[in-house]
Amino acid sequence: MEALLYLITTILKIVVIVLPILLCVAYLTYAERKIIGYMQVRIGPNRVGPRGWLQPIADTVKMMFKEIIIPTNANRLLFVIAPMLLIGPALAAWAVIPFNAGVVLADINAGLLYILAMTSLSVYGILIAGWASNSKYALLSTLRSAAQIISYELPMGFALVGVLMAAGSLNLGEIILAQEGGILHWYWLPLFPLFVIYFLSGVAETNRAPFDLAEGESEIVAGFHVEYSGMLFAIFFLAEYANMILISALAAIMFLGGWLSPFQGSFLEPVFAWVPGFFWLVAKMSIFLFLYLWFRATFPRYRYDQLMRLGWKVFIPITLVWIVVLGIAILAKLPPWFA
Amino acid sequence: MITFTFYLVALILIFAAISVITVKNPIHAALFLVLAFFSSAAIWLLLQAEFLAITLVLVYVGAVMVLFLFVLMMLDINVAPLREGFVRHFPIAVFVGGVIFVEMIFVLGAWHQAVPPETMTNVPNIELLGEVLYTQYVYPFEIAAVILLVAMIAAMALTMRPHTRAKYQKPEQQVNVRREDCVRLVKMQAETKD
Amino acid sequence: MPGLHEFLILAAILFCLSITGIFLNRKNLIILLMCIELMLLSVNMNFIAFSYFNADIVGQVFVFFILTVAAAESAIGLAIVVVLFRNKNTINVNDLDTLKG
Repeated sequence: MEALLYLITTILKIVVIVLPILLCVAYLTYAERKIIGYMQVRIGPNRVGPRGWLQPIADTVKMMFKEIIIPTNANRLLFVIAPMLLIGPALAAWAVIPFNAGVVLADINAGLLYILAMTSLSVYGILIAGWASNSKYALLSTLRSAAQIISYELPMGFALVGVLMAAGSLNLGEIILAQEGGILHWYWLPLFPLFVIYFLSGVAETNRAPFDLAEGESEIVAGFHVEYSGMLFAIFFLAEYANMILISALAAIMFLGGWLSPFQGSFLEPVFAWVPGFFWLVAKMSIFLFLYLWFRATFPRYRYDQLMRLGWKVFIPITLVWIVVLGIAILAKLPPWFA
Repeated sequence: MITFTFYLVALILIFAAISVITVKNPIHAALFLVLAFFSSAAIWLLLQAEFLAITLVLVYVGAVMVLFLFVLMMLDINVAPLREGFVRHFPIAVFVGGVIFVEMIFVLGAWHQAVPPETMTNVPNIELLGEVLYTQYVYPFEIAAVILLVAMIAAMALTMRPHTRAKYQKPEQQVNVRREDCVRLVKMQAETKD
Repeated sequence: MPGLHEFLILAAILFCLSITGIFLNRKNLIILLMCIELMLLSVNMNFIAFSYFNADIVGQVFVFFILTVAAAESAIGLAIVVVLFRNKNTINVNDLDTLKG
């Protein structure tokens, strides 16, 4: 009986977390089209509903009613499973994300490690999708993006090592609490190179422009999901945006103090005391999400060898050097972060 | 609850292991191996080895198996000749495996230490492991790091081949080209048609 | 909570399955590598079970080292397979008889 009750409450909690994320994903696509539209001096979607607000819903309905085409000689089971394998880890990682002080689904000690493991799983969805669709373009793109994701996992992991050295904990809640004390106490300042590298690697991990070689519409026609249509394609889409939101949330938690108010310790603290911590987290995430869209509107796509060179010859050495610098700073108890 | 989870996960693990060794397509075998790693990570979690369980997922599922899949997808392997003798070897394989299993069970049965007292510690597994790893086992730890480095260099040295036929652009040379290097102006008389 | 014996039996089953796998797929190099990984996994399972039931963390330290070495082993093994396939266009163990006297 008790076990059943526990199961039901946990499932309810999961639904409470997952549903808003999916809604966010839907409206992130709308925000993307609108923001990039304005950046390119056009209006963007404005036909469905007032100012186009119902556009994502119309898109979803369209996707649901489209036929799912399975290519001949494709491996049916793997073909259908692949999108789920992509979105599963993207949503599962949210289990350890703290939304406010103590508001977290699973408060585990190895939170950061768990996040790393989950993000490293997303490559399977891409590998399997590309292989199962029995198409040359899909397979080529799969090999490309698998290599890309694995390469960029390393600088990302090293950046996280820096964070866990600074905070002295793998628990995301404790990492946030270690950054207490206003905007200058957050880790973006002492870990600035790691912060930049983490976010850029995150962009590469999620296969977003300018690192979207896996999709590469102009060369390999949408890459690994070229054979997908209808709802299966929509799940790929969902997973990509869910991953973007996840990376933004992690960057906000590890480098911008999560749900901490930026005015802590200053004279403005009492003025903003009524703002819930959740709001700060969302505000910080929005910064990163906007950056994602801004990048896409601004930069041309990298060439593949340039992408690999950036990952292996620029990012990894910088993170390695900075970890040593950080170790020295921690040993020296550099105030105000490591005092 | 834990017992139920253990038996469920153990069954999945055994099913995955059987599939790894019997399925035709090596890519399916690799995917089943991923399933096996995942289920054993779950079992390690039951044994409160959370660091190793997550590391197993991170290192094996996230890196090593991706490498396997990568190689399998890149090499265009003809499976049929590799499957020759599968049926012929089946009885002897089952026999040898069975004999080893029976031996192991005998060893286990002769050894009476069914359920030792469980000690619950409040210290997180990662802290415990880290404390031992960085003090008592620091030299093995360093050696493991060197092994990884050697493996990395060896793997690169083995598979890298110099691109002898590939053509590269050299931007610095392209930029430095002067007109005098490429174009020669020749003064000559206009020729008449005769 | 299942006792130590259950975990050891599970590991034994895994080990025997991987030995059977080596017999069955003795021509396919990559499956052989996978079977070795499976074998190491079962050994690790034993170590972790002992570590838990004896309340001794050293077993987990050993697993840590096994994981490291096994990762290195499979990386080099796959590199060799790739080189082999490039040169001989096969990964069939029977075709690798160049050193036969």
